[in-house]
Amino acid sequence: MTADPSAADGRTAVPLDPSLAPPGTRGFRDAGGIPADKWHADQNGETLVPTHCCFCGVQCGMYLRVDRGGKVFGVEPRNHDINRMRLCPKGINAYQQVNHPDRLTAPLMRRSRDEELREVSWDEALDYTVSEIKRIQRDHGRDAFGVLGGASLFSEKTYLVGKFARVALKTRHVDYNGRLCMVSAAGANKLAFNIDRAGNPFSDILLTDCLLLAGANVGECFPVLTQYVWGARDRGATLIVIDPRETAVARTADIHVALKSGTDSAFFNAVLHVIIEEGLTDEAYLAAHTTGWEEVKANVAQYPPSRAAEICGIPADQVVQVARAFARAPKAMAFHARGIEHHTQGVENCLTVINLCAATGHIGKPGAGYGTLTGQGNGQGGREHGQKADLLPGGRSILNEEHRRQICEIWGIEESELPAAGTSMMEMVWQMQRQEIRGLIGICNNPFVSLPNYAVVKEGYDTTEFHAQFDFFLSETAANAHVVFPVTIWAEDEGVMANAEARVVKHNKAQEPPSGVRTDTWVMCEIARRLGAGDKFAFASSRDVFDELRRASAGTIIDYSGITYERLEETGGIAWPCPSTDHPGTPRLFEDGTTYHADGKIHMQVVEWHPPADPYDDEHPMTLTTGRTVAHFLSGNQTRRLGALVEQTPRPWAEVHPSHGFRNGEPVRVVTRRGREVFPALVTEAIRPDTVFIPYHWPVPTAANALTIDALDPRSKIPEYKVCACRIEHAGAIDEVPAPPVAPGHVAYPETQVSRTDPLPPSAPQGRGTSERS
Amino acid sequence: MTEPPEPAAAEQSDSGARTGTSGGKDGRRHGPGPGSGTGPSGTGVSAFARAARRLPRSVSGRATLAGAVVSGLLVLAIVFGSRLLHDFDSALLPYAVATVFLAFGVAYRYTVWVSAPGALRLFKNGWRSLFSKENFRKAPTALPKMTATYLGFQKFLGARSHARWAAHQLIFWGCILAALITFPLTWGWFTFTSGSGSGPGYEMRIWGLKIIGFDSLNFLGWLMFHGLDIAAVLVIPGASYFLWRRMKDRGAITGQRFAYDMVPLLALIVISVTGLLLTFSSIFLHGGGYEFLAILHMVSVVFTLIYIPFGKFFHIVQRPAAVGMQLFKYTGRQDDQVFPCRRCGEAIDTGPYVENLRGTMRDLELGFDEWTEYCPRCKRVLRGNAYLTQVKKGFK
Amino acid sequence: MMGRTMFIDPGRCIGCQACVSACRECDSHRGKSMIHLDYTDEGSSVASLPTVCMHCEDPVAPCAEVCPADAILVTADGVVQQADTTRCIGCANCVNACPFGVPKIDLQAKLQLKCNLCYDRTAYGLAPMCATVCPTGALYYGTVEELQAERPGVQVADTFVFGESEVRTGVAMVVPAERVRWPVPGGLPVVEINGKDVRR
Repeated sequence: MTADPSAADGRTAVPLDPSLAPPGTRGFRDAGGIPADKWHADQNGETLVPTHCCFCGVQCGMYLRVDRGGKVFGVEPRNHDINRMRLCPKGINAYQQVNHPDRLTAPLMRRSRDEELREVSWDEALDYTVSEIKRIQRDHGRDAFGVLGGASLFSEKTYLVGKFARVALKTRHVDYNGRLCMVSAAGANKLAFNIDRAGNPFSDILLTDCLLLAGANVGECFPVLTQYVWGARDRGATLIVIDPRETAVARTADIHVALKSGTDSAFFNAVLHVIIEEGLTDEAYLAAHTTGWEEVKANVAQYPPSRAAEICGIPADQVVQVARAFARAPKAMAFHARGIEHHTQGVENCLTVINLCAATGHIGKPGAGYGTLTGQGNGQGGREHGQKADLLPGGRSILNEEHRRQICEIWGIEESELPAAGTSMMEMVWQMQRQEIRGLIGICNNPFVSLPNYAVVKEGYDTTEFHAQFDFFLSETAANAHVVFPVTIWAEDEGVMANAEARVVKHNKAQEPPSGVRTDTWVMCEIARRLGAGDKFAFASSRDVFDELRRASAGTIIDYSGITYERLEETGGIAWPCPSTDHPGTPRLFEDGTTYHADGKIHMQVVEWHPPADPYDDEHPMTLTTGRTVAHFLSGNQTRRLGALVEQTPRPWAEVHPSHGFRNGEPVRVVTRRGREVFPALVTEAIRPDTVFIPYHWPVPTAANALTIDALDPRSKIPEYKVCACRIEHAGAIDEVPAPPVAPGHVAYPETQVSRTDPLPPSAPQGRGTSERS
Repeated sequence: MTEPPEPAAAEQSDSGARTGTSGGKDGRRHGPGPGSGTGPSGTGVSAFARAARRLPRSVSGRATLAGAVVSGLLVLAIVFGSRLLHDFDSALLPYAVATVFLAFGVAYRYTVWVSAPGALRLFKNGWRSLFSKENFRKAPTALPKMTATYLGFQKFLGARSHARWAAHQLIFWGCILAALITFPLTWGWFTFTSGSGSGPGYEMRIWGLKIIGFDSLNFLGWLMFHGLDIAAVLVIPGASYFLWRRMKDRGAITGQRFAYDMVPLLALIVISVTGLLLTFSSIFLHGGGYEFLAILHMVSVVFTLIYIPFGKFFHIVQRPAAVGMQLFKYTGRQDDQVFPCRRCGEAIDTGPYVENLRGTMRDLELGFDEWTEYCPRCKRVLRGNAYLTQVKKGFK
Repeated sequence: MMGRTMFIDPGRCIGCQACVSACRECDSHRGKSMIHLDYTDEGSSVASLPTVCMHCEDPVAPCAEVCPADAILVTADGVVQQADTTRCIGCANCVNACPFGVPKIDLQAKLQLKCNLCYDRTAYGLAPMCATVCPTGALYYGTVEELQAERPGVQVADTFVFGESEVRTGVAMVVPAERVRWPVPGGLPVVEINGKDVRR
């Protein structure tokens, strides 16, 4: 139905029907490919199940519409006080995953990677998995088998991942994909406050006079949070955005600091420098509530605005502007996200922001405070209860004797049986390369797209002797595994998640899983039973696990003991710590200025800026930075299958400044020391001339993470996704986006993949306009 | 339709009205509220209805004349077609009278319809394309093909929904069959005569001329006598599907009006059911209840015939315009007269079509007819840019 | 004052297209998105503009006026409905006459489709889907008073200027207070395209 006039060359070529219509008015490609016949809404017999979105850390409330047959078929906005009926395009389309034709409905298995995966019975898959676990652990030691969890799992399941690794597998090697997300913020929070969560609820944003967003593309990664940002501005707040790109919130910000990626700590040190110089610090607060101020003060003295201007590539004036706006505001808040966390000095970057808040006394008040915006749905909850390499439930340290003893008592094991601390996710991959880890179970993650330096990741996984993966769609990683367990999607089980405010919310079950699909809880418990640890894993449901989680967290900082499913259903969410069932929860921390350190003080830390890990040279003079686009989520295993989202953003692109001489849509090859890939150029003035941006949701050969560097922050072990050295050059043809993998014998739901091969970039980073190429 | 009525026009001169700070009525936008059950039924005023209320005198005069001429012609056709009422069945008189009213109504309404600028221009262009010798030479099959796909098989309905297409086809062919049988019968054009007086050998005559002879006991005879029953059997499931859909499908329910959307379906069902019951009565009940059923049937048919020009059924008369429109555009495309957007260069439509639309807009005194040279997306982008540069660039 | 209607503020829009997806979920046209989202400053910034049907009041519904089949209904509450399925012949007159570029057309189905302000929801006092989910309030449904209570100091304008003519609409744009006396530019006359002066 192309209406290309030049095609009407012979008279006979004119079709009788249909006729011409202008672009963007004809057809409904944006129906997500689902035939209109299947979309009719019937008047009768639907129920609304209140739940939350499965995607980002905002955790918007939504209703799932369930038909008389008990199947989820739609979504209805829900007036939950997190989102007040607002939803983003991912959230609106989330329900389409539930009864998606690409769902895995039978275990897949193969004994060698040379074979194709084939459908097998649950018994066969479980037996083989258990025999491989036993074989590898017998031959190479318990620690030769690892587990990688995920932060999109319900908290119950994240708790179970940690327990499963340490009690059933008895291995030290357990970690999760939150390691790729916001662990830098977690590390900084622990150092400064000894509590790992944001200090203020979202609603405090509405009360602030100055909002600083550092490395947080709120408009695209947390779209629903924008209402709070705009709400603050409606009430007169100043908005400061620190981002190398002019994002949707940066576009209209009062101050947009487009600094060079990887220079955040220099910038924030300089801001603090100006604050001190102009006498805008809150000395009374500093004296009463902080330690380390003198050292910090001495250190930032070396960061005058002129130095920051040089390092960051910004006008020195902006440093002064930001300092004055932030410090002079009666109440100011700072939020940051992956932009300053994904660095080899991610923890330090966060610490410089904390220093800024502490020095100005903007902490622990309504409308004044500090926080990180977690990227994954359970980014907060996922890091709390023991699926991190060094943590036990309740945020306990696995290195602390007292904590170990408490957990062993709860779990009913000998302390000698509890393994030591493990290694981080990227380090585990390196260990897989070195054959120190020979077997792996991955639950709810897709490292083939999400980990940096794909070549290393692929080699690491290929070297394993046995790899099992849990997922509901066949991810790129799962497609490389020996065994794939088909598990439930979020709407088919109940459980809790903690959002970026550390508010625990309850997800409800909306439909029965398809036959052949089991909950992650059931699979982990079943493997544990077959490994002989069944008595420790006698969980029939999420509710049982949650009860144990509550007991295991009682008395710790991350105290869930007062949170029950019933209370969550009544209240719409409770922020931890919540030590008793009559406790209202703790939405705002540090209200009396006391932190969770023994001395109750904020421990301010000295931060020296250092350049990123990947050095610039003549071959690689530019900065490659990566990030998200609004229509897709993380590794894209979910969103790349939803027609509407594929239509909105069918493929990745390389965002470049017009000064490089590329025309929009021209192939541009991005070369780093680790790889080279060709993308269509999205030429825009909304990016620094020395920077290239690629969104990371797609697999090779269109994967940003084939180019990024696997350098880690020494403390948080977060990879430096946000900066590596690169160059760009003209190329012949762009690399095509592959179809998402599906179970053998299936094809990826074709109606949703129509636009995947679109060779052009979207017209803006948020996607293609509704009238383009239709 | 040349002068848009509406109270809105009166408020226009108030400069405050531009900003929405004065004028207008409070709560004007409130719908009828949940109490009304089937939704906002009955609140609609179609653009047509508005226009009809304030027809220019010349149009209503012309329309009345057209109605009178057409109904007069029909009366003459009845008189002569029934051989000066020799073959006219006086029992069918009410039906015949209803068809005369129908003819008047359709002609009147049709004249009013094609007098509106939009329809008039397309009407002229459509017929011009139809009667163009050159067109016929270039694509002699275009018209028959379009007629068959649009008017006969209604392919476009399949694109809306397969079920709706199937149901509509049932109704369509059922009604065509019924009309082909009943209209000539009521006009006294058809007669069935038997030499023996009561069969089984019959002759079918049109205008007194013998067309076919048949035995009422064989298959052909059965078909001849039960044609209307077959039509009813086609119409009932089709109309029932639509009725069911109108009670269930939220898309259909939105904005649905009882008089416009439900009454035609109910009328079709009543006609068909009573018609079938007549047969049932004569075969199984030896005519029991026949009188009553016959009257009910007649009333429903007469009502439907008179309703045709005024409600949903008028689409039967209007739909051929789609062929005219398509033929007009087809002609333009054959001559490669594609009009590109002045900004992005994408094809908007054929050149003659755009010129036609501009003409319509000028007729209607819509002062932005130049805008038709830009595609809808460019209109929006230009407006968006103008807002950015002239109103506000960002949040403030 | 105007009653409950939609207010559009492109300055708040983040171009996320939640409205586009939400529109598709509306029961009256499920599966088909009627709203338009355009990136109006391509190559320079990420600015975006959502476009719903503006429900023109004066002149009343140009789309309905140019319709040769009398297919477009304007309900008493000022909502310009989408084409009547039995009448629409798919000629695209409305598509090209609409000064805001709103109607869409399904060529196969010979049917015009456009935003009807989620009539199935607004008729019962609910906000349309797009304005319900809009994460930024760029699309807002309510009264002017409600809008101003949430956003102190904003004004709205419901008149657009296209060259010599003005169109007053049922849906309004948010404007800064000092702009309130002027109509909102509609984009006509077009002065230049891609740097070329196109004034004749």
